[in-house]
Amino acid sequence: MKGTQLGEFEELVLLVVGVLFPEAYGLNIREEIINQTKRKVAIGAVHSALSRLDEKGFLESELAEGTHERGGRRKRLFKITASGKQALEKNHELRNSLFSQIPEMALKIV
Amino acid sequence: MGLQPTYEPPKMAVKLLSLVCKNDLFEEIEGDLYEYYQGKRKEKSKPVANLYYWFHMLNFLRPFAIKKLGQNSNTIIMCRSYFKFTWRGMLRQKLQTSFHLLGLIVAFCVCGFIYSHIKYESSYDSFLDNADDIYRVAWMNENPQTRTPHPMAQALVNDFPEVIDAVSISPIYGPGLTKTTIPLRNEKREVGFNEPNGYFADSTFFDVFSFKAVEGNPDKALRKPFGIILSESMAKRYFGDEEAVGQMLSFMGNPDMLEVAAVIEDAPKNSHFHYNFLISYVTLKSLQFNDPWMSWDDFGHFNYLKLAPGTDAKAFEAKIPDWAPKYLDWGEESLASLKAGDLKFELQPVQSIHLHSNIRWELEANGSYSYLLIYGISALFILLISIINFVNLNTAKAAQRLKEVGVKKTLGAYKSQVFSQFIFEALFTTFLALVLSFVAMYMLEAPFNQLVNGNISFADLYQTDVILLLLSITIVTALLSAIYPSFYLNSFEAGQILKGLKLSKLGGNNVRNGLLAVQLIAAIVMISGSLVIKHQITFLKEKDLGFKQDNLMVLEVDGYDPRTKLVKTELLKNSAVTGATAVSNIPGGQFNQHPIYAENNPSERVDASEMFVDDDVAEVLGLKVLEGRMLSKAYAADSAGRSFVLNQSAINQLNLTDPIGKQLVWEDNENLVKGTIVGTVEDFHFRSLHEPIRPMIMLMQPLNSNFMLVKVNPTDLSQTISKIEADYKEVIADGQFSYQFLDTEIQDLYKEESRTLTLITLLSAISILLACGGLLGIISIVIKQRVKEISIRKIMGASASQILWLMNFKYLLIAGISLLIAVPVSVYFMKDWLSNFTYQIGIDPLAYVLTAIAVLFLIGFTITLISMKTVKSNPVNALRSE
Repeated sequence: MKGTQLGEFEELVLLVVGVLFPEAYGLNIREEIINQTKRKVAIGAVHSALSRLDEKGFLESELAEGTHERGGRRKRLFKITASGKQALEKNHELRNSLFSQIPEMALKIV
Repeated sequence: MGLQPTYEPPKMAVKLLSLVCKNDLFEEIEGDLYEYYQGKRKEKSKPVANLYYWFHMLNFLRPFAIKKLGQNSNTIIMCRSYFKFTWRGMLRQKLQTSFHLLGLIVAFCVCGFIYSHIKYESSYDSFLDNADDIYRVAWMNENPQTRTPHPMAQALVNDFPEVIDAVSISPIYGPGLTKTTIPLRNEKREVGFNEPNGYFADSTFFDVFSFKAVEGNPDKALRKPFGIILSESMAKRYFGDEEAVGQMLSFMGNPDMLEVAAVIEDAPKNSHFHYNFLISYVTLKSLQFNDPWMSWDDFGHFNYLKLAPGTDAKAFEAKIPDWAPKYLDWGEESLASLKAGDLKFELQPVQSIHLHSNIRWELEANGSYSYLLIYGISALFILLISIINFVNLNTAKAAQRLKEVGVKKTLGAYKSQVFSQFIFEALFTTFLALVLSFVAMYMLEAPFNQLVNGNISFADLYQTDVILLLLSITIVTALLSAIYPSFYLNSFEAGQILKGLKLSKLGGNNVRNGLLAVQLIAAIVMISGSLVIKHQITFLKEKDLGFKQDNLMVLEVDGYDPRTKLVKTELLKNSAVTGATAVSNIPGGQFNQHPIYAENNPSERVDASEMFVDDDVAEVLGLKVLEGRMLSKAYAADSAGRSFVLNQSAINQLNLTDPIGKQLVWEDNENLVKGTIVGTVEDFHFRSLHEPIRPMIMLMQPLNSNFMLVKVNPTDLSQTISKIEADYKEVIADGQFSYQFLDTEIQDLYKEESRTLTLITLLSAISILLACGGLLGIISIVIKQRVKEISIRKIMGASASQILWLMNFKYLLIAGISLLIAVPVSVYFMKDWLSNFTYQIGIDPLAYVLTAIAVLFLIGFTITLISMKTVKSNPVNALRSE
């Protein structure tokens, strides 16, 4: 079913939206990702992920006032929705639970 | 608040983004990019920042951000609805749609095929570098010929600055000027063949003909005595994948006589001559070969010139008569006629040889321009018929769509929109036909090539000019067929239409009938033309040639081999062999010629083709001896080659009365052979019927035999052939046994005619079927409009035949008028075409009577067929509802 899966990059974006609350929009999400993960990300890629998350219902958005440095263009501010929160929690739990199931030996020999 | 000035991002990029980006996403995306740009500009120079901007802008070209096609575009939505209407309309009238498509597909296919055939035929020799500047020197007298003297090529280069390069070549001829095969052999691998298509060539060959080397240096190769240049495919046959250059070949039984000096590419298919190997004249000259063949006296070589770019060939040609006498050792009279232009050296552009030159001793059988013209005109006619069909049917259908147009107009369609819908529908059909015709051509390529023995390849159709041509034809057809109905239907008010306007008459009848007449004229010209062509070709094939060609086997023999005589005696022991004779040339082939004259009248010289014959030639070929006797070994003079038999034409042209016993001189180059005329034979067609019968002289020179003609009993042929092969092998164990049948050889002379006959029959059948199909379509629409009229007539007491006559009359009248126009046109063109032939059957009026009957019958039949249903139906059914 569409909307249930959360891709790796999508999850990252969703998390960053949470981190930057309430001022999350395309450009600063990208900067935050670059700063925190040292990954090279195009603006288009971020917008693409945002629009997918929006479609899946994990994000909601509203247009804020335009500012001078944007040449008067309004920006779209994103917020995590309830189902977004659920999806994040589900992923988080799944990882924790899987991680806790790894026998100590397996991690030791690495 | 003092705001800092902002930087403007590159305008082009913003513009582009606004064009492709979804409207509701555009503002935020542009805003982000703008803000990003400000940051970059503070750190980097303007061009670098611009580059970054562009990069990120282009990165937005992803599905989520790009506008969906037709998201908000009226045009696209309209196009979709046009498409739906078109598609539904096509499905509703499957028969009509398939006829439309089929007609157009056939026409496009025919045009595509014929176009590429014509293109191929006219592409001969255009692959040569500087092809425009290369000419062949031909000799024009009352019996023009391709061959001119060997020294001429180099003399022209030396004396004229216009001539950059020149080359003299000659096929390796056997005795009596038959193109001979040379036994070549690679001793090491024990591979040997009787190799045809060998040429002697000057060392300048590659200066004129730009054939590329594959191995070795061909320029040097032709300067070296005993060097041989092979074509690539021949090198493969003798040496496989080994390097051929430097290897040896045995030549006519002389072990390892020739060294392979170079390998060159095969001549392309569209070359007017093809070589397997080249041997330089240098080799001949190094043999102290002082043959008069190499002198100015012998018109026996093919000379090609390369002129300086931009030289006027005609002007240059005019200089030759003043120049040539310095070399030609001729009498006053001949030189005078050279100056007067009765005799002439003519420059033939190399690219026109294949289609326009058909004179004596062509290197290969050439094509014929007049046939190409016929093909081209036929293809155009078929295209015309098909386009008219499409236009006519579309316009006739217009009335059926009156309501549709009415509703559209009420709903607010502009006139232009109605128009564009009709255009769209027509374009859709024609383009579909175009695409399907390409599929059809792809599939029919091989059968077509087989049918016409052609060389066209489907790949040739993927050329810009072909595609442009077909596209423009397609578009014009669609426009023509759409303009009339849309204007006509647009001319009514919407309200009027919906109130129940009945079209009492289909508009545009005159135009439609005019087009119908044009179609019929084209079809009639084609049918009658093909009948005339058929008559002429059957006439050529069946004409009595003056000798018997049936059941004659032609074996290749070597007159210098003493065992050849034994072959004859051995064969005659076979009961299935009723006769055998050794000859130098066979009817239908090439003949050498030399002048002859009566000893007491040397001024009356005649060029006579010569044939070296054996005892039984008259019996085997069935020649009629008019006076005297045939040659026989019983007479010493005959065996010595000093007795001659002439044909009737030779006697007539020499003005001899009572020729038997007269002394005659046969001028074999510098060797004057004096002898006695011992007999005359009735003229027979020893060349193809494209040429008149010319003088011929027969004499005995057994060494010069190339062929053994063997008359066999046709029953149990295969066994007879294997018996003959066994007999031959018994005498000549190391020989290559190869045979043909004379009648098939002679049929080959008319290959071009046979091909034309097949094609023209096919094309004229297509044309009349298309024309009748179009008529059928129109009548079926017209009749629907007249159902009520017919029913009322029936009620009033009209008989079925009266009604049928009423339906038929107008169209038979149109057909009659078309016949009146088409017949004179056809007669005119066919007369012109027939004048190409030396032997013509003339135009048989029956061809036209037949055409007329066939056309009138087909039209009457078509109309009657389609009217019968209406005529037979109960008139009440048509009249009870109004």
